[in-house]
This record gives sequence, structure tokens and C-alpha cells, in this order.
Amino acid sequence: MAKISVDGTELEVEEGRTILQALDDAGLLMNGIDIPHYCWHPKLAVDGSCRLCQVEVEGIPKLQIACDTPVRDGMVVHTANERVRLAREGVMELLLVNHPLDCPICDQAGECKLQDYAYEYGVKSSRTKEPRRALKKRVDLGPTIVFDQERCILCRRCVRFCREIPKTGELSVYNRGDHSVIETFPGAQLDNDYSMNVADICPVGALTTKDFRFKIRVWFLENVPGVCTGCSAGCNIHLGVANNKVYRYQPRRNDDVNDTWICDEGRMSYREIGSADRLDRCSVRDAQGRRVVTSLADAVDAAAGRLAKLVESKGAGVIAGIASAHATNEDLFTFRRFLSALGSETSGVAVVRGEADGILVREEKAANAAGARALGFGDARPVVDRISSGGVDALLVLGHDALLETLLGGADRLAGLDTVIVLDTHASELQHVAHVMFPVRHAAEKHGTLVNADGRAQRVVPAVEPSWEAYTEGELLARIGAAMGLAGFDGRYDVRAVSKELSNAVPAFAGIDLDSVGDGGRALAEGGESR
Amino acid sequence: MLQSPYVTNYLTQHFADDGFATLEGYERLGGYRAARKALTQMSPDELIELVKTSGLQGRGGAGFSMGTKWSFMPKDGDRPKYLVCNADESEPGSFKDRIMLERGSHQMLEGILIAAWATGAETTFIYIRGEYAFPADCVERAVAEAYAKGYLGKNVMGSGFSHDVRVTRGAGAYICGEETGLLESLEGKKGQPRKKPPFPAQYGAFGMPTTVNNVETYSHVPHIVDKGVAWFQSFGTPKSPGTTVFGVSGHVARPGLYELPLGTPLAEIVFEHAGGVPGGRKVKGVIPGGMSMPVLPAGQLDVPMANEFLRERKTMLGTGGIIVMDETTCMVRAASVISYFFRDESCGQCTQCREGTGWMNKIIDRIERGAGDQGDIDVLLDVAGKMEGGTICAFADAAAWPVQGMLRHFKEDFVAHIGARKCPFPESFEL
Repeated sequence: MAKISVDGTELEVEEGRTILQALDDAGLLMNGIDIPHYCWHPKLAVDGSCRLCQVEVEGIPKLQIACDTPVRDGMVVHTANERVRLAREGVMELLLVNHPLDCPICDQAGECKLQDYAYEYGVKSSRTKEPRRALKKRVDLGPTIVFDQERCILCRRCVRFCREIPKTGELSVYNRGDHSVIETFPGAQLDNDYSMNVADICPVGALTTKDFRFKIRVWFLENVPGVCTGCSAGCNIHLGVANNKVYRYQPRRNDDVNDTWICDEGRMSYREIGSADRLDRCSVRDAQGRRVVTSLADAVDAAAGRLAKLVESKGAGVIAGIASAHATNEDLFTFRRFLSALGSETSGVAVVRGEADGILVREEKAANAAGARALGFGDARPVVDRISSGGVDALLVLGHDALLETLLGGADRLAGLDTVIVLDTHASELQHVAHVMFPVRHAAEKHGTLVNADGRAQRVVPAVEPSWEAYTEGELLARIGAAMGLAGFDGRYDVRAVSKELSNAVPAFAGIDLDSVGDGGRALAEGGESR
Repeated sequence: MLQSPYVTNYLTQHFADDGFATLEGYERLGGYRAARKALTQMSPDELIELVKTSGLQGRGGAGFSMGTKWSFMPKDGDRPKYLVCNADESEPGSFKDRIMLERGSHQMLEGILIAAWATGAETTFIYIRGEYAFPADCVERAVAEAYAKGYLGKNVMGSGFSHDVRVTRGAGAYICGEETGLLESLEGKKGQPRKKPPFPAQYGAFGMPTTVNNVETYSHVPHIVDKGVAWFQSFGTPKSPGTTVFGVSGHVARPGLYELPLGTPLAEIVFEHAGGVPGGRKVKGVIPGGMSMPVLPAGQLDVPMANEFLRERKTMLGTGGIIVMDETTCMVRAASVISYFFRDESCGQCTQCREGTGWMNKIIDRIERGAGDQGDIDVLLDVAGKMEGGTICAFADAAAWPVQGMLRHFKEDFVAHIGARKCPFPESFEL
């Protein structure tokens, strides 16, 4: 460890780290100790070219770039004296010599580092009388990204990103000097599974995503911390919310999970929140087999009535449940409590599987597969086998993942059952066989915890409120349980209390509940699914 | 035979003899004697010490002690070590290495061989600028001859030491003459200087310990080994020993190459050797060491051409490329051409250099067109100041210095342009 002093703050830092890394490690960078920077990014190789992070290191005559200067024991760094201020002002003035200053029509305005640093560290007036360089304003780089060459400050973060993270290397700097431009090879496109990250790391408005650009001014957005539910990586995100609508996902830094990245597929999954096929009302099947919209109370009564009748006639053994691994721990815990209160022991979890990419994307395409296993849920396959053998008369289905090819393989298999109760976010084939259907909240619309593939519990919070009367699976099961008079169900449901109860009841979740997980998540206890 | 009215010394004395460029002719004139002595009678440490003591300074521009540079190479470790011969001579006003490559390639190769033995290098890469097609052919021919004779390859001269030489051609960027820009280019990448540290002696070509020296610097080495330090130091000044090959161009009667001791007064080179300005016109200014070095006015030509004296006049020896400008020269126009060169050649990595070179060039052009105002001179000086010292390599300094030099000594030209709202000189060429 090395002891260094930065502007009088004493720090003990790891040997071999650079000044910027040491401050970043300590959580102080741009958060107490400000060293503005463009080309440096905590997750990319050092470039050392923007020259904005120059600081004074006692004993070294020239100013040093903090991004590439390793700490030494006893090092004394000044980041805010007159000499440093002048150097920053010089770099900022030069960065603006060719910048088009088209902030009023630039989508980055409001979250632009050029704006921010020019305001904070720049000169307040321009001395340039020369024409600025005229370049292409709308370069179609590929399926996801549009590039404005004039706004580019050539920090080359995007170039390094493509080389270092997806390792596709589509982008390069062509030409030299003040005629340098970033481009793809002729005929080639910026097209990889992580392409949209370049828009996040672009400090200016040069790279924007086709999806988000011009949708809304960023200062109207509230950034709500959340978790991407596209796969079991559990990438941390910010949900950009305005007017009760999610406009975008952006990666939220978590060095234990996704660093500062998210895959394009996960990023675009925000669209499922407000999609047209969301279920928004309860329905029951009438005597003629038609689906009839109904009130929540009637749906609860219908579900409770059907289940109670079966328990009475055949016993709870004929009732089974399949939950999607997208459900939160709290919902799954309540699901299991509901089934055991009924007396049913037949349940399992459906997990969609796909390809892992060795970067972020995991094989299990559900946000809480590890959580389900930690709670004691097994695979849903035995449940499906039991349905096939005729041992099941009623099925509770949480989420349409049960329709998987490897499980039900379609809704037809449920057509002969006495009772199918579906709690789901989106419309699916299940609506043709369900006797009672309930719409449920999306992960972006509720409180809950999810456990990622590495055994890390993370929380989601409501970012938007559905426009219909919406409940979580837990809340609905609590009501159905109460309507049936099941032990321990009185119709009330407090997700915080459930989370605490779960934490006390399941050893893997010891000490982990909605409040203690925090925005960064916490690893499950030993013996859980942790790595 | 090449007829030469020009001044020669130990480096160039045989350049008029076509035979000197062949192995047979070179050996006949004493060639490879020093290499044989070094490889068979001297230890690497002795050689490094010898070159260090000789005071030989790099002739590529920076003037760093060659022996000291060699001593930076690690002595142990099993990583291969490399030498690079920087033959990317691209400093405008410099053309000495070209003749050294064309007519003295064995002399250079002998220096390389001695340096390789001293540093333990297994391979030397000779990086020749792409435009030097004929010089590159000459070097390739010399290398082939040396291999055939057993002076390169396995077991050189029966000493047990092996050394390979590979000739690589650049693709025409000034910045590839900067040693780490050269290394990037050598590796097949875009020629952009590297952050230092790590320095090439730790992390050079292909990540291996590497020493980069200039063509002429290598060429001095056999003479020092052969004739000794005292003989070498009998040329030049105490701080800058030896000769160098000055390339004189511009408004002189006899432009060309002159091998003279370091410390020779600039006036002697310009007026005696190069014959002064033709047509009875007067000298206005002289750039003493290639275009990136600040200009000196006519009143300062008494300066001895060695760094310790040139530094006092806020300029440097650089590559020894002397550019003479007579009284008809518009210094704003000259500054415009110079700043355009640096604008075009900046690699574009560092903000100050990328944007500063362009901005300076645009301001100077505007002044030349008659659209400048008084404030422009201050902005120019300020921008040049901001470019200095804050970048990955010295290119930004090299771009700022000549502009600062022009404003230091010829500010009146700039003021006259601004006052007259036009260029007061006859238009000699299109900008």
C-alpha cells in the first residue's frame, strides 16, 4: 500500500494504481476530488491523449496526466491549483476550437461532459475567428448508432471499447491531426451485441443510439436504479423515466456484476414494460369457454372457488404450480407458502435457456433462476411429467415461461385440465387455456429481490406505475389464499415484511432483504448459490 | 566519381568514391576493421563506456548521449533485445541521412554491428522512410553483401555473436520519425507515439527492450572504435564532440551537404561553405536545425553550431538542416508553410497538438491574407504556449517553437501584414 496526499486528503491506496484509479477505488473521483477527464474510462485501457487530467505532482517539473501516473508512496498531488487550472483551461479551449456548439439541437445536451467541463473548467468566451471544420453530421454507423463527426472530440473511448470489450474492433481513427475522423472500414458496420454502449461512454453528443435519440430531453428523465431482467447476469441499470414511461435503460456501474456495460438485447428489453401486449385486466372463462373481463374481486373469487372445490373433491395433491424464474424471491416465496398451505407439493420453476457469450450474457434467460434454486425450487420438468400422466387437475402458472419447448411446449397440454390459473405480465397462448387470468406487475413496477447467476441478490424498485389496477404475484396469491381461508393468509401483503420473513426462513438469504441489499446488491450467504 | 566541391571529413570523405558503397570498396578503405576489433577484443561494457566517454550525441534531433542510451538496455533477462536504425529522415530541411544511406551504408551497418554487440541486440530494424526508395535499395544491397560475407547472420566474423538486420520501409508520415511512433509503425500499426514510460529500453519494438538511434549517429561509431576517444574529441567542442553533416538549403549559392565539426559558426557555413545568398541580397533569417527549430535572425549568425550555444539563442541543432531565407522572404508566409506542415502531420492523439496546430495555421493564414488583427499575435503566442510540454511526444513543441521563433525575431512582418491588411511582400507562391 502507498500513502498519497491529494489536495491535502491523505489516502492509502494500492501500489501500482494510477492516480485516477486510486481516486476511483476510493470513490472520490468527481465526488470530492475532481479531476476532469475524457479519454480515461475506468474499464478501458489508458489512452492518455485528451490531456485534460493533468495534475501537479510535487517533485516532477512538468504536469502529469493523472490517468497514466502510477502512485508512489509519499506522493503529493495537487489537482486544483492555478497551474492545473490554466492547463485545463487550455485543453478545454482547444477542444472547443472545432466543436460545432450545436447544443440546442444536440441530444447529449444536459448529460454532456463537454458542456459540463466547459462550464466548470473552461474559458467563458471564444477567441476563435476561424471556420470550424465541417464534417458529416449523420453517419449511419450500423443498426443501432448514429455518429456526428463534428461533435466528436476524438477521445477514442468508442474505438477502445470495440477492441477491448466485444473485441470486434469496428471503429478506428482515420487520417491525422485536426482532420482525424472516427469511422468504420468502408462497407463495414458497427454491429455487435454491445454496440450501444459506445453511446453511453461517448462524453459528447457524437454517438447516439437510434432508439433513444430525439425521444426526450434528458433533463426530464429521472434515473431509477434497477436490474435488467433479460438474463441471469443481472446487469445493473438506470431506468430513464419520465411521464410514467421508461424511455431507456442505461448500464449502472457495478464492478461486481456488469462493470459499466450492458448488452444491446438487455438494453432494448425496456420496451417490454410498456408494450401493447401487456395484460391489463383480469379475465375468467365463462361456461361457453369465452374469456370474459372481470373485476379483480371476481377473478380472485373464481380462482379461490375452483381451487377449493378441487381440494374438497380430490385433495390438494392434484394441484400443481409452475413459476417463471423471472418472478422475484418475494413472489416465489409467497408462491411456495401458498402451495404448502393448500397442501400441494408439486411445483417447479421454468427457466428459459440460451447461449452465454462469455462477456455478460448468461445461459439462463431469466433474472432470478439462482434465487429460485436458493429458495428450494426444482426444475418444472417433473411437474410437466405429472401433468402428462394425468396426476394434475389444476395448475397455477406464474409467467408464460412454462410454455417452453422443453416443458409444456405449448398451451395445448393444459387444455384438458380442470383449472388453469395464470398470473402473467404479457399475453401468451396461455390465454386460450386459462380459466382465470391475472395481470401482474413487471419487475420495473414493483419492489423485490432477484439473485443473479453469481449468487448476488439485487433489488428492483418501482420505476413506473401501470395505468391499470396492478398487483404483484405475491399480492394476488395473498388474496386468493385469504379467499380460500388458507392458514397464514389474511389478504394483506407487505413486500418488506415478506422479504424479512424470507430472510429469516431461508439460510442462504440470511441478512439479505429488500432494505439491506442496497443499490449494489449483496452475495447470498455460504451454501446458497454464490460462486 | 561524384564531383564534390563540398567539405568532407571522416564520415563523408569517401562518399565521392562509388566503391565506398560496396563491401569490397568499403573494406579496402579500412571498413569493418572497427567491428572486428569490437567483436573480438572488446566487451560490451567496454564499448558502452567508450561511446559514453566519447560524448557522441545523437544526430537525429534530440542530441541525447548515445552511450547513455545504450546503457539503458537491460543486461540480463531472456527477452530478445532489438536495435532500430531510424532512417525516417523527414524533417523538412534535412537530407543528410539520405546520402549516408546511399553512399555510406556499410559504414552505418558497421556502426549497427558494434552497437548490437554492445547492447546484446539480436536484430536491428532499419526503418527507412517510404519516399527513400533508392536509399532503401542501397541499404538492402549492402545488407545482402554483409550477410554473404558473414558480417551479419550467425557467428559474425567467427566471434560467436549472431545478428540479423531487417530493412523496413515507412509509408510517409513525419511522426514515424519520432522513436515510439516509429516503433508503432514498425509493428504494422498506425504511427502514433506511445506514452512514456515505459521507455523503449524496457518496452520497445514488439514489446522488447529496444534502442533507437539515427543513421548518422551509428555511422560515427566505427570511427570512434577505430581511432579512439581523443581523436574523436579533437573535432567539435568539449560538450559537443565530433563532426556532423550539415545540410544547407534555401537562398544560398551552393546548397548541399557539409561535414564540419560541431561548433562551426553558422555564418561560416552559410557564407563560406554554401557561398552566401546569391544576387547580392542579404540574409533575413536562418533556421539552424530542420524546420521544427526556431529561426535565428541575420544578426545572430555568429552562433557556433552546437547545442550548448544554440540553446542560449532559444533554438537547437536539431538535425543540422540549415534553411537560409533572404530579405525577400515573407516570414508570415514562411510561418504559414511551416504551420501547415505541422497541422498536416500531427498524429492527432493529443488535444493540444491536434487542435493547436490547426488553429495556429488558420490564424497565420488569415494574417497572410490581410485579415488579421492585433490580437491575433497574442492568441498565437498563447496557443503555442499551451501546446508546449503537455503532450505524449515532442511534436507539439516542435510545432510551437518555429512559430514562437518567427514572432520573437520577425514580429514586424506580422505587424506589417495586420497594419497594411495585406501581404507587403511580392507573392512568390500560392499558399
